[in-house]
Amino acid sequence: MTQSCPAIIGVGRTKFGEHYEREPEKLIEEAWLKASVSAGIERKNLDAGYFADYFLQITNKIGIEEGFLSELTELHIPMEKTRSFSSALLNACNAIQAGKYDLVLVGGVEKMTDRWDKIRDDLMLLEDPWSYYAGCTPEANHELMLREYVKQHGISGSQHETFNIALAQIAVKNHKNALQNEYAQYQREISLENVFRERQRAHKPLGLYDFAPVSDGATALILASPEMAKKHADKTVCVAGSASATDYVSYPAREERTEFIASAIAMKNALKMANIKVGDIQIAELYDQSTFLEMISLEDLGFSKRGMAWRDIAESFKEFQGFYRINGKELFVNTDGGLKANGNPLGATGGAQIYEIVKQLKGEAGNRQVKTYADLQNGLVLELEGFGTKAYAHILRRGDQK
Amino acid sequence: MSSEPIERRVSYIGDRLRGSKCEICGKEYFRPRDYCGTCGRKSFGKMQDIDFFYEKGELEVCTLVKEPTNKFTKLEAYVYGIVSFHNGKVRVPGRLTDSFLKEKEVETSQFEDREVVPRFRRRYAVEQSDIIPTIALTFTLADEYYPYQEHRIVKAKKEHEKPGIVGYGVYTPKFRTREGTIERSVPFFDEDSITAAVEAGKMALIHSGIDPTLMAKIYVGSESNPYAVKPIASKVAQVLKLGEEDKAEGVQTVDAVDTEFACKAATSMFKDAAALVYYPSVREHYTMVVGTDNSQAAPRNEMGGELDFFVGYGASAFIFGMHDVIAEMEEWCSCTSDTPDFWRRDQECYPRHGGRFTGEPAYFKHVSKAAEKLMGKMRLQPKDVNYFVSHQPNVTFPIKVATQLGFKEEQFMPGLQVAKFGNTYSGSSPIGLAAVLDIAKPNDRIFIVSYGSGAGSDAYSLLVTSQILDKRSRQKFTLRYQAENKNVEYVDYETYRRLKLGM
Repeated sequence: MTQSCPAIIGVGRTKFGEHYEREPEKLIEEAWLKASVSAGIERKNLDAGYFADYFLQITNKIGIEEGFLSELTELHIPMEKTRSFSSALLNACNAIQAGKYDLVLVGGVEKMTDRWDKIRDDLMLLEDPWSYYAGCTPEANHELMLREYVKQHGISGSQHETFNIALAQIAVKNHKNALQNEYAQYQREISLENVFRERQRAHKPLGLYDFAPVSDGATALILASPEMAKKHADKTVCVAGSASATDYVSYPAREERTEFIASAIAMKNALKMANIKVGDIQIAELYDQSTFLEMISLEDLGFSKRGMAWRDIAESFKEFQGFYRINGKELFVNTDGGLKANGNPLGATGGAQIYEIVKQLKGEAGNRQVKTYADLQNGLVLELEGFGTKAYAHILRRGDQK
Repeated sequence: MSSEPIERRVSYIGDRLRGSKCEICGKEYFRPRDYCGTCGRKSFGKMQDIDFFYEKGELEVCTLVKEPTNKFTKLEAYVYGIVSFHNGKVRVPGRLTDSFLKEKEVETSQFEDREVVPRFRRRYAVEQSDIIPTIALTFTLADEYYPYQEHRIVKAKKEHEKPGIVGYGVYTPKFRTREGTIERSVPFFDEDSITAAVEAGKMALIHSGIDPTLMAKIYVGSESNPYAVKPIASKVAQVLKLGEEDKAEGVQTVDAVDTEFACKAATSMFKDAAALVYYPSVREHYTMVVGTDNSQAAPRNEMGGELDFFVGYGASAFIFGMHDVIAEMEEWCSCTSDTPDFWRRDQECYPRHGGRFTGEPAYFKHVSKAAEKLMGKMRLQPKDVNYFVSHQPNVTFPIKVATQLGFKEEQFMPGLQVAKFGNTYSGSSPIGLAAVLDIAKPNDRIFIVSYGSGAGSDAYSLLVTSQILDKRSRQKFTLRYQAENKNVEYVDYETYRRLKLGM
């Protein structure tokens, strides 16, 4: 099984944060060169490129991204542009599995700070124009979903307090994880008090420290056919499961408003493809655009039972050892700091998530390494577009040594 | 810059909240669509339109938006949430409007599970040169100022010999400013003369019970159209769905026109609206005249600033027809002269006021002349008239002119509304007329004399019929209801100026 999967033979990324002085092409160049070096491949051997950016056309007025990349790489290979890194990866996997290409560059970039003054309007308008016209903000849907969740599961009194603390602990944990990540946007610890103070200031259940920031950055990886992978790498990570699903663009119009059904469907199909069970996954990169989304993703993906994720999290934090303990199993989540602390340059975000899982599975995560190389087998990456409108689940598996 | 093609694309939520319902399984959708997701291909051609314009919904969950996106910053802070209709069969995103929440600590759960009414408002702020985007995804709480009212189409029973008013409605907003004994209505940030015209028209349709598809023509009179060129009436006709709707082409089979003659822009058209329904092929149809203004005034320390003491905001709508008339139009008389007492040149923000002319010879001469000529024409004395309503730029003018004409307090005081809502310009004397119709008895004779600067007056004699009593219970949102509402919110002078400027 593993042998027939496309393999990631190299990964690269830039630091996330504000890159005022660097053009988007310069960011992608850095990520691409790092990935190429780590894979040990020659530029001319690339068969195709898949690149992601969510809205570079708006933020940086770049129309045909492929042209910029052709100029950058001095290649005339087929290139396609997608909206998220996971989407680029999924397309690259499909092409390799179809036997069309053997070596593909997958990349993602975003430069959001160049449009800092209008970014919230852009984000919201692209997420869902109807909600935007009604006055929605990028944060408001998270708050509404949280409210729906609290009401549906009847969380009140001391339970509600536990629930609020559990969400705050997610932010604290992710910031702590980012301390060991040299590429993270925020390499500093925050306290529960910080999180609560910001919530209080906003008079809301979620505050500044519950949300991922606006970021610049780029990520890249080299994907190879199994045969090609054998030639280039000693240790490979293969994409054992790759699936996506879609949902309505308007969150309020969906029938299920305390879950993302797209996440659940994508996960189900990715597990099927990888031929494993959810319990076989030891490490996951979840899309924590807000602390609430990290929590709800645990339910959407089947780690926690519906209505139970916050309890699982709260229990895990009683004696926290770096992982969530859910149904007796250990699950490491967002060991790179997650979107919250690592950063969230939309088109590049998924690449950073994959970067982390690849590093962990190969035992190359340095101070962040959660377990020995031999003990990690399967990792998961969940990436979303919009507010649960698209979901991508990728299951990465440690390849056997050559 | 907003793009007009995009405005057309979103017009179904920009103007009026609409969706679809599958005739087979009953599933409902926010936004019109051609087939049902559950029933698939067999549902093609079996999707029914549903329309939430006259409905009420429920705010299920909500949150407070204190840091809106750029285009919404003028709204400062608001409640945003999910509104459900038809017991949760369909849900839409929505914003609660008409409340100041910026400085407040708000427990948003107090708004949840409460009934809300869809409103028609400006969507967000755009450049002064852009098309004004509107939105139907705004709501107000049904248990506050603006009530939910059932819209029921009632088949006409009786054809009258003379045309007349078959229904009317007035809209003034929840906000007021108060100085001394004068209260004036103030728009919220997202209101303007267009939104008020729609609200008044909606009230008139609810009151009259007529089938809106029978509307032949709508006249909208205003002197505060936010556009120098582009009609208000087209928007009002589209939002209220007046005339037969040709869905495939997106047009309404109705004529719509804006009129302008300072404060008599609407009253001038009463006779035209009545005359049109008297035309043989239009006798089964109706016409609507709306007078709407976000009355303009320069700040007090500037030229023309004296108007700032009296300007209000509001709209009135009157539906004319031959059927089930509540007040027949007996006779009319207008007079006109070119008296430049009040004007606004193109591209000027505020009107100017020629103080020399304003009272005498402008207002008093025209109002008196029109009233006297009408009484002469009909051989009537003031005692033959039950109610006298005139244009109300302030409190003293209408009282003085009525007294000079020989009317007594009991005849002119019921129609004097300026101290409650301010001078609503094109809506001014029509709001006085509506206040009288709210209380009039069958066989009462009402005189209304408008005045528009520039200058002219229209005098009408209306004879109330017994139908007025049949229709009265359909309208909760009366002038008294609006004036004495406990949910009215008072704002200070500075806020009033900001609100008047809008988004």
